[in-house]
This record gives sequence, C-alpha cells and structure tokens, in this order.
Amino acid sequence: MKTIFSIAATTVGEAIRRKVLLVILLIGLLFLVVAPALNILTARQERTVLVGLTLGVIQLTSALIAIMLTVYMVPNEIERRTIYTILSKPVQRWQFLVGKYLGAVAALGMMIGFMTIVLLITFALSQNERHLANLAPLIKAPVMNFFQMSLLSAVALMFSTFVSPLVNIFLSSGIYMLGTLFSPLFQTLVEAPSVNNVTKLFARIIHFVLPNFSNFNVQNPLINPGQVLVDERLYFITTIGYAFLYIGILLVTAVLIFDRREV
Amino acid sequence: MINRKALFGAIAGLAVVQGALSQNVIFPRWRQNYSTDSPNIAGGLAPDQMLVALAGFREMIAGILWVRADSFFDSGNYDAILPIIRLVTVLDPKQIDVYSTGMWHIAYNFTDEESRSDRRYVPTALALGSEGARQNKETYELFFETGWLWYHKIDDNYGKAVYWWEQAQKRPDILPARQNILAMAYQRNGQIQKGLEHYFSQYDKAAAIAKVQEDFGAFQQRDVNENNIDTMIVRMGQRGVLGPASKTSNMGVPYDIDPPFDVGFSAQLSVISPRVIRVRATWNVRPVGTRIRMILRDSDYPNAVPGGLNWDFSNNVQLDPPRDRTFMQDQLFVRNQRSERKIDMSRDPTMYPFTSKDYTVEFYYNPRSAPPHIQDKFGWSGEGMTDKNFLNTTIRPGQRVVYTTLKLTREQILRTGQWRDKVPVIQTKNFELTENFRNNDQAIKIPGLRGTTPNPGDQRTQSLRDP
Amino acid sequence: MAEFGWVWLKGTEGNQSDGRDSQAPSKSSNPQPYPAAPYRYTSPRIHTAPCTGTLLGGAPTLGAAIETRKLTKSYKRPGGVTNVVDGIDLHVEEGEIFGFLGPNGAGKTTTIKILLGIIYQTAGEAFVLDKEVGDTAIHHLISYLPEKPYYYEHMTGMEILKFYASLFGIKDEAKCQSLLEKVNLASDGHKTISQYSKGMQQRIGLAQSLLNDPKLLFLDEPTGGLDPIAHIEIRDLILQFREEGKTVFISSHELSDVERICDRVAIINKGKIEKQGRLEDLLAGGRYEITADVSEDFSSKIKEADTHVSWKNGRLIVDMPDSISPNAIVEGVLGAKGSILSVIPRRKRLEDLFVETVRNVQP
Repeated sequence: MKTIFSIAATTVGEAIRRKVLLVILLIGLLFLVVAPALNILTARQERTVLVGLTLGVIQLTSALIAIMLTVYMVPNEIERRTIYTILSKPVQRWQFLVGKYLGAVAALGMMIGFMTIVLLITFALSQNERHLANLAPLIKAPVMNFFQMSLLSAVALMFSTFVSPLVNIFLSSGIYMLGTLFSPLFQTLVEAPSVNNVTKLFARIIHFVLPNFSNFNVQNPLINPGQVLVDERLYFITTIGYAFLYIGILLVTAVLIFDRREV
Repeated sequence: MINRKALFGAIAGLAVVQGALSQNVIFPRWRQNYSTDSPNIAGGLAPDQMLVALAGFREMIAGILWVRADSFFDSGNYDAILPIIRLVTVLDPKQIDVYSTGMWHIAYNFTDEESRSDRRYVPTALALGSEGARQNKETYELFFETGWLWYHKIDDNYGKAVYWWEQAQKRPDILPARQNILAMAYQRNGQIQKGLEHYFSQYDKAAAIAKVQEDFGAFQQRDVNENNIDTMIVRMGQRGVLGPASKTSNMGVPYDIDPPFDVGFSAQLSVISPRVIRVRATWNVRPVGTRIRMILRDSDYPNAVPGGLNWDFSNNVQLDPPRDRTFMQDQLFVRNQRSERKIDMSRDPTMYPFTSKDYTVEFYYNPRSAPPHIQDKFGWSGEGMTDKNFLNTTIRPGQRVVYTTLKLTREQILRTGQWRDKVPVIQTKNFELTENFRNNDQAIKIPGLRGTTPNPGDQRTQSLRDP
Repeated sequence: MAEFGWVWLKGTEGNQSDGRDSQAPSKSSNPQPYPAAPYRYTSPRIHTAPCTGTLLGGAPTLGAAIETRKLTKSYKRPGGVTNVVDGIDLHVEEGEIFGFLGPNGAGKTTTIKILLGIIYQTAGEAFVLDKEVGDTAIHHLISYLPEKPYYYEHMTGMEILKFYASLFGIKDEAKCQSLLEKVNLASDGHKTISQYSKGMQQRIGLAQSLLNDPKLLFLDEPTGGLDPIAHIEIRDLILQFREEGKTVFISSHELSDVERICDRVAIINKGKIEKQGRLEDLLAGGRYEITADVSEDFSSKIKEADTHVSWKNGRLIVDMPDSISPNAIVEGVLGAKGSILSVIPRRKRLEDLFVETVRNVQP
C-alpha cells in the first residue's frame, strides 16, 4: 500500500507540473472567468447559458486533462527509463500501475476542484449571489464529472499499456465521445419503429459494453431547474458504484496486459 | 504469480454486471432525471453536445443534431427541438431546411389542447426566418418562407408579406409556382393595380416559356395566369376599382360595394369556469366564411398593437417566449349570423399562465383577410362594409375594419375573490340575447361573380344576370 | 539449505547433468572471491528443451550472483525471428566486479532487463542470487542503475532518495543523508534534479541504487557521457563497492574503466558470448620489446622460439613473448659489449582483445 501511495504521490507531483496540463487548465479557467461575458448563445436566459457553458467548460477541460495526463503517463516512464529503476525495486507491476492511476485521479481531483472553486466564485460575482446554499447544487455536476474523468482515465490507462500515446488519444477520445453522445441517441434508436432489428441489436451491444459516460452527466436539471428528480441520492450512489466497478475492470485488464508487456 | 485465467474470468463476469447495471438500472433513471430528451426538461442542450460543437466539427454535429431533432418531430416533443434548431442554425447557418422547418414548426406546432397555436412564439419564428434569409441571401427560399408566415400565419400585415415576397422574387432560383402568390399579397395589401401588373408580367413570362417549351407544365402556368388576370379584372370591375370616380358601373347601377353594409357586430363573453370562457357574437352576414379574430391578452402585453402584435419587433431569435405572459388568439366562425364558442384554457396553464392583473379582449375583423366571395361585397379595404358601433378607420390606416375591446380582470378569468360563485359576464353595449338575431331582410346576400340567390328588393343582381 | 535438497531431488530425476552438485561449493567453504579456472559454468549442461522455468532446468549453482543457461531472447521482426540474446551462459561470482562488454546493440541491456525481470526471456534460464528471475523478492537485494537515467525533475535529490526508499519500505532520512554524502551530493540534496549536472544525476542514481544495501548492483554504462572528473568519481565509488563486498555487474563499452576495475569480463557480440573469464587470463600473452646497441652478428645468436629480430637505425629490436625470460638476451647483449637501451613489456590491452573478438565475428 505504501509503495502504491509513494508512486501515486510522485505522479501527482509530476502531473501538476506538466506544462501541457497547466495550459489546458489555464484555458479552462479563463473560459470560466469570461463565461458571464460570452453572449454566444443568448437565445436563452442568462443563467441557463452560464450554467451550461461553465459546467461544459469544466467537462471539456477535465476530459482533455484526463486524456493528456493518462495517455503519456506509462509510456513516458518507459521512454525515460524511470520505470526500470522502479520495477527493479521490490515493486509489482500492478502496484506500479495502480499507483500511477491513483496519482492521475488525485491530480484530476485537484484540478477539477480548483475549477469548481473558480466556478463558484464566477457565479457568486456575476449573479450577485450571496447565499452559498443557492450555489451548492452546482457542485453536483463537477463531483460526478470527477468520477466520469476517473473512468476516462482508467480507459486511457488501459489503452496505454498496449498502444502508442497518439493512437491512445484518438481511441480514448473516441470512446469518450461515444460514451457521452450515444446514450441520448440510444433510446431514440431502439424505440424508433423505422430502425431495423440488426441496428437495434448493435446499438444495444455498444450501449452495454462501452463505458456509459453520460450516466455521470447530471447537468441538465442544473441548467433547466424546476424539475422533480426521483431518488437522486440513490442514483448518485449507484452511478459512483458503477464507476468503481468499471474502473476495477479496466485496471485489472490493464494489469493483465501490462504484466506481459515488455517495457 | 497472478492467476490470469481466474482474473480474465472475473473481468468477463464483472463486464456483464456493469453492462446490466448501466443499461437496466442507471440508464432508465438517468433518462428520467437528467437526459435532455426527458419530457420534463424544457429542452436544454446537453453541454457535451455543445462542447463537441465548440470543439470544431460544427457541420457534422449540426447534421447529427438535426437527425436527432427529426425523431422529436415524430414523437411530438417540440420543446426539445427548439434549442436544437437554434444550435444547428448557429453551427451551420447554411442548412436552409433547418431554418424553414424550424420556423414553420415554431410558428405552428406549439399548440394547446384545442389546437390553438402559441402566438408568443411567432416573433421567434419570424426572427429565425429573417436570420436565415440574411445568412442565405443567394436563395429565395427563406425570403419566401418568411413572407408566408406574414401572409398566412399572421394574416394581417400584408405589407410585410409583399416586402419578403418581392425579395424572393428577386432571387433567380425562385420556382414559377411560387411567384404567382405575390399578386395575392398585393391585393391583400390594397395594391390592386400592382397585383394585376404582377399577374400580367407572370403571364408574359409564362407565355414566352410556353412558346419555346411546349409541355403541359408551361401551358398550365400560362393558362393559370390568364385565368387569374380574367378573374381579377372582373373583380376590379365589380368592386369599383376600374372606375371609382363615377361611383356607378357603366351599366348605371352602383358597384357591389355600394352602399356599405352594416354588419351589426355585438359580443358577449362569460367566464363559465376558471380559465374557460364562452363567447357569443352577432354578425349580420349570412353566407359562411366570416372569421372574426378574437384575442385575449395581458393588457400590458409587450409590443401589443390593436388586433395583434408588432410581430417583428426583434431580430434576435428568442428561444424563450415570455412564459409568464398570456396571449390567446382565436377566431369566431359565423354561421346563421351568429357565433358561439367555448374556449377552454384551463388545460394549458403554461400557455395561458394568467399572471397579469388586467386583460384585454379584442375583436377584430378586416375584410382584407376575408374570402373573395365576401370581399366582393366588402371590397379590398372595407368600402362595402360598415358597423354602426364599431367601425374603425384608424387602427389600420386606409382600411375600414371592425374593432372593439372588452376588459377582464384576473379575478374574473380565474374565478377567484368575488367571482368565485358568480359568472362574470362582459359584453358590448349593444349585445342582446336573442335566438332570432335579425330578420332575413337585413342580412346581406353576396352577389358573386356568376350571379347568386336573388336578393328580394335588389335590382342589381337581376340586372347583372340579364343585361 | 532448502535449495540444496531440492536440487538434489531434481538431480535424482535425471534432468541434470552429472557432477554439477559436487562442483557447487558451499559459500562458507569457498571464501575466495572467484575460483580458479576451469570455471564451473563451463561444465557441460545440456538442456534438451528451451525452458522458461525450473521445471526442466533445475536450480542455479549455489553461491553464484548471476547464472544464466542458454538464455535467449528473440523478437519477431519483419524478416523473421531475431535473437537479440542468443543462448548465453553467464556466470558471475559473488563479490566480484564483472564487466559485461559489447558493442552497441550486442544485447547487453536486454540481458540486464531479463535479469531484472523487466522483460521475459524466450528460452533458457536465469538466476539471480540463487533465485529465478521474475521473483520480486530478490529486488530487495539488488539494484539497477539504467543507462542515462532520468529522474523526476521536479523532485530534489533528497526527495528522489526518499521516494525510492519508500519503494523498499524504508523510511530512514538519516540513511538518505548519508548516501548523499557518500556520492558527494550532501550540499545539493535540496536542489531539484533539473538543476543537476549529468554527473550529479549519475551520482544520485548511484545513491538510489545503494538504498537497500544491495548485494548485487547492475550498472548500465555508469560512466557513459561523463566528463573526466565525474568519470573518476564514479569509478572510485564502484571500487569502493568491491571493498564493501558487493557484487557489481557493469555493462559498458568504456574499456579503460572496465580494465581498471573489473575482475572478470564477458564479451558479448550479436547476442552471443564470445569470451568470458578473468581479465588477467584473457589478457595473458604480452610481449617484451628489447632495444639494444650491439654488433649486427649478434642476431644470429638469438634462438628463442616465437622471437622476431629486426634492425632499425642500426639498433637491434627483439620482439619476444613474455613467457620467456628476457634475461638471456640481455646478458647476451652485455656479453657482446653491447648496451641495452630499453626493455619494454607490452601487455595485451582489453581494447585489443575486444576489437579482436568483435572483429573476428564480423562476417
């Protein structure tokens, strides 16, 4: 356990100093700060646009960070030969991988947390909101976003054990996009009478197998308030449980592949 | 060492568990609570869609979204389509059919339980149309579509229809079949001579084409225009346009529009239960085809003008209509010289929120919107029509219309306070409850182009039939 | 001696060649750092099948720090299968400094990686400190300094040491400090790695490799790319290891260093071990060159075998093997009233051996 934490801590230290990630984070923060001034889609109420835009910025920024962070994590260790000094110590490969993953998740958590704080400040100032309680529900989205990104990170880590970083970027982003966009389409596809059964089956399989990132997207009621949410607490618990389950599957797969990998 | 086989087995097992959990437990609840296509969400855009859009593949996303919107058209989830239309047009302003379908849908498809469309959306539709036209100046389509909204949906300010259709007419790609209707707009706008001229120029074009291109379509186009010209000239003759100075036709009898006919309008409105009203009206015209516009709106409804709205007050597409405002528009159909209609607004509280204190009920009749057989008597601008009490020549300059208003309070319409147990009845001063509204002699008989039922005591029809 | 019994059992199954066990001296009975030739590893040991485990091969020779048998690593390449390491038999005794030499791409690093369990052999066996490779338990006893290593640049020297120490489960700041002193970085422990020079990085690498007091160190090109001063510092540190009784396995092509510090060497080329043995044995066969001022007829008196005589600028030059004493010729010259100008022993250099070996196998 100590070994894992040491590796995780080092990974965090490195991640929060990586320039690419910092630049992405900075751009994200910039967007958050100027969001109130962006009248890009002013067709809707100001707050609606602001909530949607800022939560979206956090989602996009953290997804980019998650991918850029995780994709290079293991290959860099191999390229710079640090992995040799680590694996020649009494460190099992699974410990190395899990440590790296936990480090990535911790770094992601820190960055998402930072963005969330900026988000709250932006809202407090631009909406002239003095009661923090009114802003508290907004935090739900970044929290779920964090679990979404942890899952995405696990996907990228799993791929990083056997494909090159560049391919991995496309693979992970592709799976992320599918996992986010497919769910809303899925139901329409399956229920539409005009769609043939083979397509429906195919849709079902994809929906079944792929990590369902949209499960973590709880932004809509925040953007369009006033609807009745059923069993929200239970939903959050189940979905976080789902994240752990899927992350577990990915990590075990990653370990199994990495164990046979020649580094 | 690791037992790989056991782990692979465990992974396979867990993969099934996660799939089942996601598809059967989480997804249905997600759909219910958080999905954009959930009916209880007033059509927000999923931020991830926005993100992907912002990330750059605009046209692609626009296409995907439009396909998605299509499925909402099927399911009737119109609220969800609105933001998609907005986003798609923002992403890909060259997608003309999104504009045209979108504006049509916004103008016509938001309806209440009794199929009255939500007029609060009409400015949005118009704004979308004019934006689309701005973005797609090279084609006639959105100019035509926007003109159509003015002509058909708003059905009042025909000058705007003329403006848009003249613009459409300037685009070289306009279809011949779409050109003729500009003449109708000219007529309804009171530009009778221009209407005739348009028909003539259309005829000339069609005839020239028919000469070169001898096929059915070309001949038909030419013949339709010829027929239109014939009809129009006859109407102009009957309605006194061709020789207005003499006040009589060359046969020595007055034009059909002379003397003006008193329509004898009166109306009564009672709130029979909360948000349910019954309207009774009298109208002396016996032939069917009369539709009296009735509006019930907030007295301070933004941009309201007598008989309607300043529909194109803004060029910005406003996806959220003023949801806290009420604007109900309907038509009273006249049969047997009277009209009675129950209007139930209780089932659509979102469309008729009734949050204001005071309401205005408007009754408005403009012969320009009337069908030709009635127009034949009333003329294009109401020269053949009058009303002892409610003739109005000011709200539509140059036109003689019937217009009056009644006042209603929130308490009355919601039946609260002192009106809880008392049916509020408001009416015009001249309204009297009777089964026999008028005797037959007072009712007008429409002359018609090929003669009509002889009107006792009226020599004109006779003389027209046997010159 | 659990292994012993197990070995013996395996031996009775007939999988082992005869005599191996009797050759294996117990650690206590063999205090010598390295045995005399013939080396034990040369005893024939025939494996009938490529092995990846102990099932067929059996246990290692006791007391050997490293032992490999027919160790092979092959990769599939577009043109077919390439053996990067091709059936090598290595034997490294405890307490010696072993030089693993070879040109670039000979298979040095691959062999080390196999020995560390970072990659897996295709065939053959490898044992490190009596344990089969892949057992991370031995990682407590060994350490590795990779070629041109990189350390997390954001960390200070001290943090790096603490990090690696934590991987061993060691939480001993004093030890880290003493290691910093040992590698002469005591005053730079608070600087980040990004501020370190190459030599300092190499030294912090050595420090981290000493954290667990390893019995066996693998050093991959430890002096590569360093300036002369850093070079000497590292070399001195390695020599210090021998005094501490550590086994050091150096992979290098810095031959002068190897010659100076190694007890034994193996030369690998194209995946195959070409030469292996004590440095002094491999470099045996030097010559003397005697230059003398003497009358020309003296040359006919020189009868020693393998001796060449030549004249240059009127001086006699005798080139003779160092197995023969030069005294006879020196005395002869003096007896002939001549004078000896110089007697130069020409020792064989590792460089010569290396070039000779590598050249010989070139196609």
